Amino acid sequence: MNRSAKVLLLPGWHNSGPAHWQSCWERTHGYVRVQQHDWERPLRGDWLMQLEAAVLDAQQDEVILVAHSLGCIQLAAWAAHSRHTQGIKAALLVAPADVECDTLRVQLPSWSPIVRQALPFKSVLVASANDPLCAWAQSVALACDWGATLVDAGHIGHINTESDLGNWPQGHALLMGLQQSN
Amino acid sequence: MAKIFCVANQKGGVGKTTTTVNLAAGLAKIGQRVLMVDLDPQGNATMGSGVDKRKLELSVYDVLLESASVAEARVQSDKLIAGGCSYDVLGANRELAGAEVELVDVERRERRMKNALAEVDKDYDFVLIDCPPSLSMLTLNGLCSAHGVIVPMQCEYFALEGLTDLVNTIKQVHANLNHDLQIIGLLRVMFDPRITLQQQVSDQLKAHFGDKVFNTVIPRNVRLAEAPSYGLPGVVFDATSKGAQSYVSFAQEMVDRIKAM
Repeated sequence: MNRSAKVLLLPGWHNSGPAHWQSCWERTHGYVRVQQHDWERPLRGDWLMQLEAAVLDAQQDEVILVAHSLGCIQLAAWAAHSRHTQGIKAALLVAPADVECDTLRVQLPSWSPIVRQALPFKSVLVASANDPLCAWAQSVALACDWGATLVDAGHIGHINTESDLGNWPQGHALLMGLQQSN
Repeated sequence: MAKIFCVANQKGGVGKTTTTVNLAAGLAKIGQRVLMVDLDPQGNATMGSGVDKRKLELSVYDVLLESASVAEARVQSDKLIAGGCSYDVLGANRELAGAEVELVDVERRERRMKNALAEVDKDYDFVLIDCPPSLSMLTLNGLCSAHGVIVPMQCEYFALEGLTDLVNTIKQVHANLNHDLQIIGLLRVMFDPRITLQQQVSDQLKAHFGDKVFNTVIPRNVRLAEAPSYGLPGVVFDATSKGAQSYVSFAQEMVDRIKAM
């Protein structure tokens, strides 16, 4: 019998609140949130090191990373440099934040340019057609650069608390697909 | 040409950061132009120099990643300017830990700091680098940049064990990466002459290392210990304290020793 991969949740800037689908998954399924020292002032190097530490803590387990918003940008930057990506089975990237856009580039200067190196593991990128933090064309470009399969989630904004998705079963079905993949 | 020194000891809690910030302030007090580089992600030397690590726009992390120059990232502290012992600070915070991951596949990554400091060589007489206690890529960057190492140590029995590790590290870096690197001297810190064991270890150090042991001894001093909570080096916090005066004497000894080299 195949053991399920351990799921690590990577929230974005300001963390995911209690009604966010990542928090619902954490409560319902026992997935583990990668904690940050400072959610309000995301220091890129610090965030990368926290992810590195969480992956190393997973030790023998295979890992699936589930990232939202800035967490996707963090994941791509980490994967381009870390020597510990071999334990990652797959990644689910949801609504990456376009930190290269005018607003976010000013607020989060150390995060741009976005690392666009292909991810060394299987990945799915879920994007929304009316995401205020990432134009559809940018989502398509990121999926292409990262080598991720693009999934159109429809018009559901930034796929966050405001999107009112509850447990977001459609998203979880994508995660289950990654769990069952070889 | 700036003389670049690492303040290093692989043993933690021996007074590295206290020595770095107080030597920087002491050198500034006697008219030297000084840059203090904090290579420890804990950022204690940054905070102890009157710079809030949480408010850094750019830091030594950006310099190591080559997204900023030293000239762009260095800052000055209003507190130090007001105290009359101002030096430039290339600060650090938790973000610096990420450099260990991000530079892992970069060629000549251990020379990033050396290359960056070369661009501001003419701006300073002294560059002091506060190294983390572990032998990491960050410490290697410090050791590759430096002309020498200042080793602060408490005169305790186990201090000599940590010293052996450090001497071996310096030998390896000298042989493979930086032929200029040498131990400039051992600085006895937190010294209490009333404790017999400390006096014995001090004598042992003198016997083993001779001229490599600095003449100045930094006494255990409560004002030096209090200063970091005010975000200041002891030399600025209470210039009349014995600890502060000792660090100013040490600064003068450093200047004289460098002239003689």
